[in-house]
Amino acid sequence: MTASEVSAEVMRPVPRARVLRWATDLLPFVVGVAIWQLLSFLEIWPRVLFPSPLEVLAAFAEDLRTGVLLVNLGVSLKSLGLGFVIGAIFAVPLGYLMGLNRFSRDFFDPLVNLLQAIPGLAWIPFAILWFGLGQGAVTFIIVMSVFFPVLHNLLTGIRMVQPVLIEAVQTLGAGRVAVIRHVIFPSTLPNLMTGVRLGIAFGFRSLVGGEMIASTDGLGYAIFNAQQYFQSARIVVGMLAIGITWLLMDRLILRPIELRTTLRWGLVREGLEST
Amino acid sequence: MTPVASDILVARNISKTYFDSVRNNDVHALQDVSMTVRAHEFVSVIGPSGCGKSTFLRIVAGLDRPTSGEVLVDGRKITRPGADRGMVFQEYALLPWKTTWANIEFGPRLKGIGRKERDAIVRRFVDLVGLTGFEEKYPHQLSGGMRQRAAVARVLANNPAVLLMDEPFAAVDAMTRQRLQEELTAITAVEHTTVLFVTHAIDEAVFLSDRVIALSGRPGRIATDLIIDLPRPRRWEELVRDERFASYRDELTRCIHGTAAVKEHA
Repeated sequence: MTASEVSAEVMRPVPRARVLRWATDLLPFVVGVAIWQLLSFLEIWPRVLFPSPLEVLAAFAEDLRTGVLLVNLGVSLKSLGLGFVIGAIFAVPLGYLMGLNRFSRDFFDPLVNLLQAIPGLAWIPFAILWFGLGQGAVTFIIVMSVFFPVLHNLLTGIRMVQPVLIEAVQTLGAGRVAVIRHVIFPSTLPNLMTGVRLGIAFGFRSLVGGEMIASTDGLGYAIFNAQQYFQSARIVVGMLAIGITWLLMDRLILRPIELRTTLRWGLVREGLEST
Repeated sequence: MTPVASDILVARNISKTYFDSVRNNDVHALQDVSMTVRAHEFVSVIGPSGCGKSTFLRIVAGLDRPTSGEVLVDGRKITRPGADRGMVFQEYALLPWKTTWANIEFGPRLKGIGRKERDAIVRRFVDLVGLTGFEEKYPHQLSGGMRQRAAVARVLANNPAVLLMDEPFAAVDAMTRQRLQEELTAITAVEHTTVLFVTHAIDEAVFLSDRVIALSGRPGRIATDLIIDLPRPRRWEELVRDERFASYRDELTRCIHGTAAVKEHA
């Protein structure tokens, strides 16, 4: 047996290529901002309808200095985090229960199918009635948005568990508990991760929408409020803050978790180009 | 058939009929199959595709239930899968989230064997199947041949009464297959393993086995039960020139093709 028999060796990118990748990643943004600045410079539209990048930067600096931006961001992230955790706490156990127990699957399946067709934002009226305007209502909307993608993906994951893996460990002496622990749980992790990512993405969208209508603070409310006062640069600040927050969450929290588990196990690939 | 004390595995009148929901009819996969496997014996079951040989193995493993008949292992009736009948599958079936070491350690760990003894067991079987240096690799980092070595080690480390193998070398390339076959005969000789091996490859069955049982086409019935009297250890480069090897192979070929032909004319 030789080292050449190892079919896949992990390739590390060299630092030089890394710098190049950063540059290529940034390029579209640089071009985009340049065109944006050029268009606003031409003053085709009134400034209040089309703020320039420089105005946005000024508004950003101002909101950062006064702390408004961070406070709103904090409020939003708290609602998102709380909503996600509550949604997942209900969705994950229900998913495994439905996936592993026929009776509960038959019982819950019609209910879940009906409810998951209803968008999280459709719960806004009840959210306001039950919790009043504020973070409670927003959190509830997020819970309703997070719950179904997590549940749905988990159920898909349980359906996709390879029977031969279960059979193999059974012939090694595994009973039901060991099968669940050593085969079902790890097998469903990629789909659970997809569910978590989708859940957070759905929750994030509902967060912004929910805050616009059902709250008095948070990033969504800030955008909505800025529009009332024709502070269009601050609208863009809020929108960018939302986009950047999502990007950071994905890169700093969700991707590393995925890398540490499913990619390392070879369960999912990075992309077609890496095969 | 009267069981003898040294019979590890006794299958009595196994029949299996299942309902094919696509074709909407009953399929008679196995009919009245009886056999015994003695301690340290290497027995292969061969037959044309669809003869129920894999179904038979799955019944022995406890993964499928027979429609009638029973299987005894060490005198106990089989009702469910168990550690005494470890199975090696064609598709390796290693746990992707466990390293080679952790996969092989799986059975002993479930049994609650202590760390020190467990490490010694795993070490021995890692070395025995030639995976030294690959202990910390995940299955997807191994070649097909290495994965199957790991799968064999995983079952052997669990010390089963009988090792069940379901076309384990069908997915690897021809050269790797011959090497794995030679390694398997060497390992089972050293470990005194009792093996029940299912394959559709006649060469493979003759090469590996002390006895080859050929099943006829659907429904599977025992067509012949042939003792392979060839010296061990066996090597391909010697056996391909051995006349006895050729005659065993021809006899089994005639037997299987004969029953297949009869079946087609019926």
